[in-house]
Amino acid sequence: MAPKLAVANLGKTFGELAALQAISLAVERGEFISVVGPSGCGKTTFLRIVAGLEPASTGEVLLDGRAVHGPGGDRGFVFQTDSLLPWRTVFANAIIGREVAGQVGPAERQRTMELLKLVGLEGFEHYHPRQLSGGMRQRVNLARALAIDPEILLMDEPFSSLDAQTREIMQTELMRIWEEGRKTVLFVTHQIDEAVFLSDRVLVFARRPGRLRETVEIELPRPRALAIKRTPGFVRYVDHIWRLIEDDVRASVIEEKV
Amino acid sequence: MSVSTPGISRPAEATEAQAVTRVLQGTRLRYFAGAISVVGGLLLWELISRVLVANPLFLAAPSQILQAIYALTVSGEMQRHMAISGIEFVLGYVIASVIGIGLGFAMANSVTAKRALQPWISGLYATPTIALAPLFILWLGIGIWSKVLVVIFLVLFPVTINTEAGLRTTSERLIEMLRSFGATPRQIFFKVSLPSAMPFILAGLKLGIGRGLIGVVVAELFGSRAGLGRLISQSADAFNMPELFAGVVVLAFAGIVLTAGFTWLEGKLVPWTKD
Repeated sequence: MAPKLAVANLGKTFGELAALQAISLAVERGEFISVVGPSGCGKTTFLRIVAGLEPASTGEVLLDGRAVHGPGGDRGFVFQTDSLLPWRTVFANAIIGREVAGQVGPAERQRTMELLKLVGLEGFEHYHPRQLSGGMRQRVNLARALAIDPEILLMDEPFSSLDAQTREIMQTELMRIWEEGRKTVLFVTHQIDEAVFLSDRVLVFARRPGRLRETVEIELPRPRALAIKRTPGFVRYVDHIWRLIEDDVRASVIEEKV
Repeated sequence: MSVSTPGISRPAEATEAQAVTRVLQGTRLRYFAGAISVVGGLLLWELISRVLVANPLFLAAPSQILQAIYALTVSGEMQRHMAISGIEFVLGYVIASVIGIGLGFAMANSVTAKRALQPWISGLYATPTIALAPLFILWLGIGIWSKVLVVIFLVLFPVTINTEAGLRTTSERLIEMLRSFGATPRQIFFKVSLPSAMPFILAGLKLGIGRGLIGVVVAELFGSRAGLGRLISQSADAFNMPELFAGVVVLAFAGIVLTAGFTWLEGKLVPWTKD
């Protein structure tokens, strides 16, 4: 069977700077893939190209065998900042993807309500974003992406603005939601433990130029509980990935200081 | 530590009770401060005009002003002035709002339009266009249209500038969010840009209220047959202080009511900016 998502020799340059170079990978249906790497490794750029928010300089992205040439309703993007419309209720925010596609019939409304329930926001449908906590807003962000029933879910560091405890809760919540629907997920993060906890495979990116250094298969049993983060097997994965990117991270930290 | 012993906690409770009382008193004072200030000010005014000035050619007491308002209302003269000024204001204000929002849209959506209009908008906004009122009266006569034109000139620019700024400062993140769902430019405009510009547009319209009222009255002072400005100028000519102040009070009241109405409207239309 053809892969859900195929990326072939993908490259992106901003002027002189090679942000991404020769990225190739294949993602199977229902796989949870994370992308980790130091800042400046192009992981967010990579995700944005898959989303169609940015054009690739070279290579191509195929979703279900069709080339990606711009944004579309077959991909659901979960943003780093919640990007909720402050004048809309939780429900009206969650259904906006359907609205853009001109599909707001009873079935879509029903489905959106179910998703809000799934992400734990039952009873909050008529609240406005300003009345919600950061964690709750990210739940709406997730429900909004799921509401268009996308072929693939693209998540750009969705928990990075949350505090450490909320982040861990959201990780388990995301696992629970993912187990229900088994969407194909591409998840960008700079938290190695988050990537290992969630993923079937972790793509480790390197910087200058941004490229795929190694793909780490995470062979931990599912469903995973938070306690797995303290098992030796889990820690080994984290250590391994950290060693892969450590030098790059140090270099980027020094660069940022200068 | 003896923090939890009863001997220590009792005075703490007492202080807390006192603090609560103080806060309550503070709240009460805060609540009534506006009313006390207004009533006190009116009493002082009454006292000064009756005892210190004691000359109705220079100053009218609040009680005399109320009487004048009553008399003018009974005779129907007040309604006539209010109707004329009201028509001038509403016509000018509505025309300026429509044109202003339209120009703001044009400037936000087209660089050419912005480049072409910006110097005029900036220049005329900074100019005291009220000084052009005599010229407008010369051109259009002393009827209502010269006043309407003055109001248009005063209201147009804040509305245009705010509309343009509101549309231009739409969050890139929100636009990108909608774009990720494959939204068309038209959908982005109506679902993101326009609602996010609403608070700015309303602020511009609110600013226009005060400017528009000033425009009406000042233009009428320069030459008119009726209107609150006319009432004020003819009362001044006749040294009729109660009627002069009657005109001013009605204007002040109109300003307060319109602005308060707008604030209420903002609460209904753009509640997300209110907390």
